Amino acid sequence: MTLRYLIAGALFASAAVTPVLAQDNTDITVVLSEELDLVDPCMATRSNIGRVIMQNVSETLTELDVRGDEGLMPRLAESWEDLGDGVWRFHLRPNVTFSDGSAFDAADVQHTFDRVFSEDVTCESARYFADTELSFEVVDDLTIDITSEPAQPILPLLMTLVTIVPSETPMEFVREPIGTGPYVLSEWQAGQHIQLDRRDDYWGEQPEVSSARYVFRSEAAVRAAMVETGEADIAPQITELEATNPATDFSYPNSETVYLRIDSADAPTDDIRVRQALNHAIDREAFIGTLLSEGTELAVTIVPPTTLGWNGGLEPPAYDPDLARQLLEKAAADGVDVNLPIEIIARTGNFPNVTEVAEALTQMLSEVGFNASLRMVEVAEHEQYYSKPYPESEGTRLILAQHDNSRGDPVFSMFFKYHSEGTQSGISDPHVDDLIERATAATGDERAALWSELFAYIHEEVVADVLLFHMVGHSRVSERLDFRPTIATNSQLQLSEIGFK
Amino acid sequence: MIGLIGQRAIASLASLVVLMVMVFFLSRLTGDPAALFLPIDATEEMKQQFRTLHGLDRPVLEQFVMYVWDVLRLDFGESLRRARPAIDVVLEAYAWTLPLALITMALVVVAAIVLGAIAAFNVGGIIDRGISVVSLIGASAPDFWIAIVAIVLFAINLGWLPTSGVGTPWHWIMPVAVLFIRPFGLIVQVVRGSMLSALAAPYVKTARAKGVKNRPIIFVHTLRNAMLPVITVIGDQAAALLNGAVIVETIFGFPGIGKLMIDSILQRDFNVVMAAILVTAVAIFIMNILIDIAYSILDPRIRQ
Repeated sequence: MTLRYLIAGALFASAAVTPVLAQDNTDITVVLSEELDLVDPCMATRSNIGRVIMQNVSETLTELDVRGDEGLMPRLAESWEDLGDGVWRFHLRPNVTFSDGSAFDAADVQHTFDRVFSEDVTCESARYFADTELSFEVVDDLTIDITSEPAQPILPLLMTLVTIVPSETPMEFVREPIGTGPYVLSEWQAGQHIQLDRRDDYWGEQPEVSSARYVFRSEAAVRAAMVETGEADIAPQITELEATNPATDFSYPNSETVYLRIDSADAPTDDIRVRQALNHAIDREAFIGTLLSEGTELAVTIVPPTTLGWNGGLEPPAYDPDLARQLLEKAAADGVDVNLPIEIIARTGNFPNVTEVAEALTQMLSEVGFNASLRMVEVAEHEQYYSKPYPESEGTRLILAQHDNSRGDPVFSMFFKYHSEGTQSGISDPHVDDLIERATAATGDERAALWSELFAYIHEEVVADVLLFHMVGHSRVSERLDFRPTIATNSQLQLSEIGFK
Repeated sequence: MIGLIGQRAIASLASLVVLMVMVFFLSRLTGDPAALFLPIDATEEMKQQFRTLHGLDRPVLEQFVMYVWDVLRLDFGESLRRARPAIDVVLEAYAWTLPLALITMALVVVAAIVLGAIAAFNVGGIIDRGISVVSLIGASAPDFWIAIVAIVLFAINLGWLPTSGVGTPWHWIMPVAVLFIRPFGLIVQVVRGSMLSALAAPYVKTARAKGVKNRPIIFVHTLRNAMLPVITVIGDQAAALLNGAVIVETIFGFPGIGKLMIDSILQRDFNVVMAAILVTAVAIFIMNILIDIAYSILDPRIRQ
């Protein structure tokens, strides 16, 4: 009798749950790994916020094509031209309205930048204009001249990072973002979900997805399970361990590059032979398909291969422990104290298997004779070692870090990581500084050539760091959707790119 | 009774003030919130602007005086990460933690007392063996493992329950069940042990000799006497739940106070940490009062 009741109860339960799980045809649910603290458009370059807001709710003047090779594409600006002397003219798209019904015009662009640079609100996108003074001249409603001092040759590319808000937006973080995008944020239940609904009056083509609900689960196994059970349609980030179903699970280059930052001011890494020995001591291939996912690529630059000026002619340093030992012996013969401690600082949870990867790296360095040790730290402590001023150490520290650049141009990485004034730079080399400054100011082919020259110089002449891997991410996408993640999925997830089978 | 509560309230208030002062200064020793709020390549100028905007560039003592002044006016400050009042963020999360803790503890207490008492009466019987197994699971299997196995079994394979979230009553079943196991395993053993001692007492033999039936012996006479140590353990376990259940909240996407507190500590969102500690401390204080009242009801000697 009891068993019968139990079975009846279970059937009732499953019948009652089914409607909750069912998905309406063009409504989708996206399960993300972390909740959004803020939804302000000026914070959309932060990846967890960007995935919801960027190009869905708020749009930018220009957009980088990550699916094809069109490069920089128009979005809210139809076209732009370089007027010389650091002045760029942007021709704005007509007949565009914000979700509050107001028309989009040049004054909105100016207000957006006023807000980005305001002292009353800390907008993330301000960092892309750190050393540039911008001034604005509204030519007419749909034309705006932006002057940068010094001249900024990639100003149109930087426009991919600034989401446009209406002139009425206050100088504080907003909880109900108003944008020109195809969706409007209609509900935000903190801790539970965010709901975006499609607008009827969007200027562009109507996307197929009619609404998207974002939910947040920090456990990858749960995110994967939610797509499997039909509770969610897309889990942009799952672990390799969960990615077991070829019909739904895809890997994609996630634009993260893992490397060991060397401090060339410390002994013994101030000697180039020691830096070369570090590079030759590591068997990079051994990590792929074991501790790191299949598809992980060996890095020869700190930016992924899709970046302007990426130098395909560079080869990763060969794994040659004997050569590493010889280099150390030669350095020791010249009086370099190669027995000084080398501490690897790695961050817990930085990427899957980070502890094991760091342990293996430490072991490989020890095997060729380095006095290497490992310390795993939390994010806040890691930051203290990663950014200047670097704390004193008896020998030196190698910082295992992951750097993300899906923006298409090395300028977002090279100054910070290699310029002598860069906050995470481990080198001080006048030629590197000069190349970075010239490449930053150059345009077109010259720009690409200079970046390419810089990559080769840093890699072969300076041996600035131990570049390791371009990482891959894994995602699970419901079989009812027509969607493939790209290198941009880490920072944005455009609902308009999602179709139904 | 009122005097007892008053004494307790003053003692709790004093320890709360000491706790808040300690947390205020210790949290500021963990480092600069600007370094975590802003991206790693943010300029020093941006960091300075952030500190100025939130008053973090002032001397710590000045920050403390301002904080105390604000708290006296019931203003707990803004969350640095969320740009909204810290107390709102905390109360929103606590509105989920409180029912989760209350429902779980109510089920635990009822189940543990009934089953523990029956097990003590039939030592070695089916119920006694069953609760030993549950206690062993509760003590040895980690919460996250039980939670993941529950999801695989009940959500993926059987499809009876949703994997996670909070939308319907069905969403609560797995989190409550996972949270239930450990305190149940502990309390049921205390009930059983306490009952065994009570059942061996001379007054039970007298009752039996007078022909009193088993049920009144267990539930009327012995249980009341066996409850004092049980209540102590119940208080201890309930306090743990009122502090939030980080593992269960993380796995089931349950927006409670535990994960909020951990995240806020890691992100150096000081005002949220302070508000969360205050709210949980008040909840635990109220619970302790209830426990004291329960003691004095069960054992009139305490009232004197």
